[in-house]
Amino acid sequence: MSVKTLDTAYQVTPSRWSRRNLTVPIGLIAAVAVLWLWVSSLNLDSIEARVLNAEAVRRAVVDHILLAVSATLLVVAIAVPLGIMLTRRWAKPLVPVVMALANIGQAVPALGLLVLLALWFGIGFKIALIALVVTAVLPVLRNTVVGIQQVDQSLVEAARGMGMRASRILRLVELPLAVPVMLAGLRTTIVIAVGVATVATFVNAGGLGDIIVAGIKLQRTPVLITGGVLTAVIALGLDWLGGLAERLLRPKGV
Amino acid sequence: MTFSRYLENRWDDLLEQATQHVLVVILSVVIATLAGVVIGALTWRSDRYSGLAIGTSATLLTIPSLALLALLIPLLGLGWAPTIVALVVYSLLPIVRNTVAGLRSVDASILEAAKGMGLRPARVLWRVQLPMAWPVIITGVRVATQMLFAIATIAAYVAGPGLGNEIFSGLARQGSANALNQAVAGTAGVVILALLFDLLFVLIRRYTTPRGIRV
Repeated sequence: MSVKTLDTAYQVTPSRWSRRNLTVPIGLIAAVAVLWLWVSSLNLDSIEARVLNAEAVRRAVVDHILLAVSATLLVVAIAVPLGIMLTRRWAKPLVPVVMALANIGQAVPALGLLVLLALWFGIGFKIALIALVVTAVLPVLRNTVVGIQQVDQSLVEAARGMGMRASRILRLVELPLAVPVMLAGLRTTIVIAVGVATVATFVNAGGLGDIIVAGIKLQRTPVLITGGVLTAVIALGLDWLGGLAERLLRPKGV
Repeated sequence: MTFSRYLENRWDDLLEQATQHVLVVILSVVIATLAGVVIGALTWRSDRYSGLAIGTSATLLTIPSLALLALLIPLLGLGWAPTIVALVVYSLLPIVRNTVAGLRSVDASILEAAKGMGLRPARVLWRVQLPMAWPVIITGVRVATQMLFAIATIAAYVAGPGLGNEIFSGLARQGSANALNQAVAGTAGVVILALLFDLLFVLIRRYTTPRGIRV
């Protein structure tokens, strides 16, 4: 499968290894366990204890995952149909325009977008969600287009020769063959969404950014490390789940 | 205050922040390119080691930037140091990956020919392989640079340099006359710099690619 993957910042080749890799989740669980043991062995002062109480940390983790996952789902709902549309013959002239716009959009810093949206429309979860979707949409969109375009045209010809209509060719030939590339894009989108969800704290949308920012402002190392490690664990964990989905959802025989 | 008046009044400050933004990105990209090319050149022969290098840098890129900056504070404090370390870490993946891919793409018969001419392996790498892989490597560097312009804005929160300061100070003054001006100036500044550098890379690529393989 020849997919152009050398001009992206992230790893977007479909992952190759097929055996179930359990070292990542075991490592992540171990990291959380070590963190927990370390924090509970410390004598927290009153400020640290207030930030690091179990309920607040749990809520930050849930908010963070919720924000990242809902943004990812929205991205799929928007980018997959749009990407499919762009590969239809009548939309061919639109492709360079949309891709150029998307590339310029990629140069917009997530933080700037977030702050601008907050200044225009107010703060909160919804605004953060919009910013996340805009920043994370490109990988899925791009990989949907590339994934369908790289399908061998002789296969499409063959399907047409068998009397299939365009909609059936799309459903039975093009999409199944494009799925591995699309799923690789999905993984990148998840990573970006988790990252931008951290910055969402600046527009009061909750998440683990709250704990990190508290650590920086209060100059408390245990708080900083808790926030940083938990965020990294969530990012790596969701990325691992994305990799798992990549393997499980791939059509057999591709 | 209108945006144009704001630009006029604050032009010197904005220019200074933009300069610092460019400086921190260039410094990080240069360090990352040196490190990434060396890592790629050492590991490209072995699937195992190059896979390890690429996998590790992909894992590091997965960590959200604010989290990485936070974890660097206890070690490096605030300011330029954690900013540069984080930016270097984030640009490793595209550079290492493209170096490995570029070095591998060189035709085996060309390497044979170089060997037949009596070049030792180190010279084959330096005189033949790296120049031929260069267009692919420079693409990785370009992509990394683009990404760093955006990530560097977040570093302003740990007292890093650059246009992120403008954005954060706009956020802090929410409701005041200049809040929106500051956020727009900071964001647009980063976009303009990123696009300018994209153009610059077209030139860099053209003039650093050996004449024989220019297309």
